[in-house]
Amino acid sequence: MSRRVLLAVAAVVLAVVPFYADTSLLQMGLFVCAATIGAIGLNLLSGVAGQLSLGHAFFLAVGAYGYVALAGTDDRIGLGLPTWLAAVLAPALAGLAGLAFSPISSRLRGLYLGVATLALVYIGQHVLYSATDLTGGYDGRPTPRLSLFGLKFGDDSGITVFNVPLGQYELLWYLGVVLAALAWWFARGVVAGRPGRGLQAVRDGEVPAAVMGVAVRRAKTSAFVLSSVYAGVAGVLYALIVGRVVPDSFGLTMSIDYLAMAVLGGMGVVGGSVVGAAIVTGLPLLLGRYVDALPLLAEPGSGGVDPSSFARYLYGALVIVLMIFEPDGLAAVARRVRALLPAPPAVRTHPSTTPHPRGGRP
Amino acid sequence: MTGEQAAEDAVLAVEDVALSFAGVTALDGVSFRVEPGTVHAVIGPNGAGKTSTFNVICGVYAPDRGSVTLGGNRLTGLAPHRIARLGIGRAFQNIALSGRQTVLENILLGRHVLTRAGVIASGLRLPSARREAREGRAKAAEIAELVGMSRLLDRPAGLLSYGDKKRLELARALAMEPSVLLLDEPVAGMNDEETARTAGVIRDVRDRTGVSVLLIEHDMTLVMDVSDRVTVLDFGRLVADGAPDEVRRHPEVLRAYLGGALGETDAGTDAGTEAGTGAGTEAVANQDQHQEDK
Repeated sequence: MSRRVLLAVAAVVLAVVPFYADTSLLQMGLFVCAATIGAIGLNLLSGVAGQLSLGHAFFLAVGAYGYVALAGTDDRIGLGLPTWLAAVLAPALAGLAGLAFSPISSRLRGLYLGVATLALVYIGQHVLYSATDLTGGYDGRPTPRLSLFGLKFGDDSGITVFNVPLGQYELLWYLGVVLAALAWWFARGVVAGRPGRGLQAVRDGEVPAAVMGVAVRRAKTSAFVLSSVYAGVAGVLYALIVGRVVPDSFGLTMSIDYLAMAVLGGMGVVGGSVVGAAIVTGLPLLLGRYVDALPLLAEPGSGGVDPSSFARYLYGALVIVLMIFEPDGLAAVARRVRALLPAPPAVRTHPSTTPHPRGGRP
Repeated sequence: MTGEQAAEDAVLAVEDVALSFAGVTALDGVSFRVEPGTVHAVIGPNGAGKTSTFNVICGVYAPDRGSVTLGGNRLTGLAPHRIARLGIGRAFQNIALSGRQTVLENILLGRHVLTRAGVIASGLRLPSARREAREGRAKAAEIAELVGMSRLLDRPAGLLSYGDKKRLELARALAMEPSVLLLDEPVAGMNDEETARTAGVIRDVRDRTGVSVLLIEHDMTLVMDVSDRVTVLDFGRLVADGAPDEVRRHPEVLRAYLGGALGETDAGTDAGTEAGTGAGTEAVANQDQHQEDK
């Protein structure tokens, strides 16, 4: 029950955020949503199924550019499809890309798979830079504004709730939160169910898994495709947030960031990826926003430690400390904390978020 | 249960199987038949080829020669997961559990061959997947009860004692509801009480489901106690095959299997060199298994 209460509280908090947060804060939250979806996808592949991938950025790029090209109406190659349809087809395209790569990925494992997927990033970025008719080259392409259920995700949707006009980012916020929640829910079902057990068996030993009746190559293929679809969804959302997709974003750094999110949160634990995504994506942005308030940080370019470098040092240190003391990530830390707490009801441990039924106390 | 019907006519026949690793012979023309509903033991010194035989039956190794059939199905040449679907369940000698998963989840993995839910059905919690999961948990609880692990269902397998891990191996293989159950040293490292319990479980399952059991074991008390038939291997060759009492008195068996203890006079210097090659064969086999595992 307490779990349901927590989820309900979280839903309410997330629903009212657009009424209080400004655009840059919303944007930050949206980046975290997109990263959450992508990180869960990578966690399914690398954490649950044990298949190391450095190619996640490639599949995000397929999702992002796929959406732009499918919905595009500018002078580049574009199908001009309805944007909602493009947003559905782009992740499917990413899944197809994952399937196309599976004859390779299902035969390799460990570092060899890592290196093979690394090649995807290099090839992908090369194509993004050079196929200018499709990708716009170095300068990229603008993202067509999404229109969903007749709702235009523009600067002014014409909808005003409680005197707050719902602009592009307010609407995207709701979309992002719903998509991230669905991604989390779906992944938990997969991991707890039959396919998840098969994938974990493959991770823990391919020979025993096969003898137990798990079709190993098929399982690896399905993990790769599922992870690619997740990356595709993250890519579409990312494209919508930034408003313009450029090849620079989809490099090795992005792949590594996603790996860091999965490891930091806890390999194989879906909920961990949410926290990992929040830290890796949110921390630099948050520090950047409040740079003035932090005594030791300098403005970018002024010679001191700038916030984004500081955030990287911080999470670099965090990864190292975690890997030494708790290789299973923040999810395992959370488990330990829960074990230490005296009472099971999570409600009591978070008094600040507990709704007061009678509302009488301050 | 699928096991009950399949076991009716499912004779497991190993015919003239030969296997070698980099020129070292692991199996050399091994043939035997496991009759439905019987407990059939495979014994022999270390390196005799017992586990290699299991690996050939399961499809982990492809034999150089010979074949394995189950009922009318030829197993040789099939992928391991297809062989599992045809009704071969196996408990590993070197524990091969998912350490991070709970006892319940490990047992449920055994039901992989009996269930269907895919990514979409599980992700969306479709009614079919939920029903399957519910049935699976009930079955797994039954099996845990049978092997005496009911209280441990929620414990991660990695935290179990050695004896409990061996029991979980057995439980997971039972969960596959196989028509032939391959047990590789199921009581290794167990005390007398645990051994007796496992022997009871093996007999119980055989009597209730009609499963055939192929058993590798060094514990002769257990072998003589539960087996209907015993096959003896030595250096990859079949030395004897028969009822426990016959095999126990077989001169070849006494010489080869108990050679160190009884046959000192005629074994002499030979024993040392033979033991050396025997150990070498096993080392190669283990190494190979190791590579497969990576």
